[in-house]
Amino acid sequence: MRKPTREASVSISSGTIGLFAIVSMLTISGCVTVKPQQRAVLADPIMQFEGDPQASAQVRHAIENREGSFGGSGVSGGGCGCN
Amino acid sequence: MRLQLRRAILRWSVLASTMLGGGVARADVATFDTSHMLYTESPTRTNMTVYTPGVDASATPAEWLTVRAGYEADVVSGASVAVKAGPAYQANNPAADVVTAASVKDVRHMARGGITLRNGDQTLTAGYAYGIENDYRSNSFFVTAKTEAYEHNTQFELTYSRNFDEVCNRVQGVNSAAPRFTALENSNGCFKSDPLRTLSDVGIDGFQGGWTQAWTPVFMTQLVYSAQIVDGFQSNPYRNVIIGQGLKAQEHHPETRTRQSVSLRLNWFWKPLRAAFRVGIRGYDDTWDVKSGTADVELEKYFGEVFRAAVRGRIYKQTGAIFWSDDYSGGDPPLGPKGQYWTGDRELSPFWSYLVGVRVAIATKPRTDRIVGVFNKLKVGASADMMQFNYDEYTLGGVPITNARAFLFGLTAGATF
Repeated sequence: MRKPTREASVSISSGTIGLFAIVSMLTISGCVTVKPQQRAVLADPIMQFEGDPQASAQVRHAIENREGSFGGSGVSGGGCGCN
Repeated sequence: MRLQLRRAILRWSVLASTMLGGGVARADVATFDTSHMLYTESPTRTNMTVYTPGVDASATPAEWLTVRAGYEADVVSGASVAVKAGPAYQANNPAADVVTAASVKDVRHMARGGITLRNGDQTLTAGYAYGIENDYRSNSFFVTAKTEAYEHNTQFELTYSRNFDEVCNRVQGVNSAAPRFTALENSNGCFKSDPLRTLSDVGIDGFQGGWTQAWTPVFMTQLVYSAQIVDGFQSNPYRNVIIGQGLKAQEHHPETRTRQSVSLRLNWFWKPLRAAFRVGIRGYDDTWDVKSGTADVELEKYFGEVFRAAVRGRIYKQTGAIFWSDDYSGGDPPLGPKGQYWTGDRELSPFWSYLVGVRVAIATKPRTDRIVGVFNKLKVGASADMMQFNYDEYTLGGVPITNARAFLFGLTAGATF
């Protein structure tokens, strides 16, 4: 039987730690309370992750045509989160 | 064509950004946006210019429904490398100018549309895009589900997309094998009944999950996982690669590529400066063994109530594909054959790049009394970026590319009625 390699062990343990970190953050996020009356800044367009979504989409369109990678460009969100 | 395929892969994400990006305030009845971008680059022997105009319109006839439609084009002109050879071949054939640059003139048209349904904190968006150009057809569908939790402080979003694309190719000999395949000469006869042309399928499945979290009244984060499975013809049909003495063959990539990336972004508003500071990092890998890391920063500041200006920077580094070689005809490592696949695509070579840029925007605040009796909100924006590519191994005819620099200029405008 093939023994697990050192790389495999490291990979599993990194994945487990990453998963644990995400679950922990999700749990903690439930305790976060930004009240509606505190949302003035979050609702401002400047708090969009992409300052100008149209312009950002075009730049990304150009850049990713010249690279071997993709993704992670974000999802909608940011802003007030109140729609 | 390589660019066209990349565009197809990106199509759903760009469409989703356009449809979901800014969010629609419930008071908005209709919006109109237009954007224009000019991309120009001039590395050795190629000069590529791409003009990308786009328009999008949306209407929200009821609180629970938004309908959108848009159009975008890419007007491409310049030259691309039609035959790729490296330094070993060039050294053995000093008189041969094997690197040729073929003129490229093409226009891609893309029409898109979609709807968003809302029910309380949940939204469901579905969209479709149809892309057409001389040598490529694309049918792209996507659906996105989004929900909010914990008093709107947490947002989750899931997207699935599917592309059914077709790429034009040259008919090869019946008993011919990849090392004997010949590149497509031009797009004449594509998507017609030309017996010398054939169509190859490209299917793309895309998945994306995102978690956006407001941690404090001035600090947010976003974690995004993206994955893609690309199945089908992924080479540039126009490009030949020198794979041995006296032997050139059409570029030959694996038919399947699985790709994934994880990114984390932070957005923090610094009240004393009235500025937002954004930081993002991304890790990427795929089954062609391309690995990359990206870091970007942006500082955007208010000047007055409606004027914003931003400066940004980005740095990117990637490894080459496992089958990448700058010269398959021989030479010392890292040159030489790399198995059953070969490429002349510089985007599959190891390189790093950086980008610096500025952006300005003027956006009026939403108001109850309409501007000139018509508009609820107006915005205009402009951007300029410079991108420098630094190739570790890629050469043209044995000459390293040292001046691969691109400039991007953008204009946007929008109105809410």
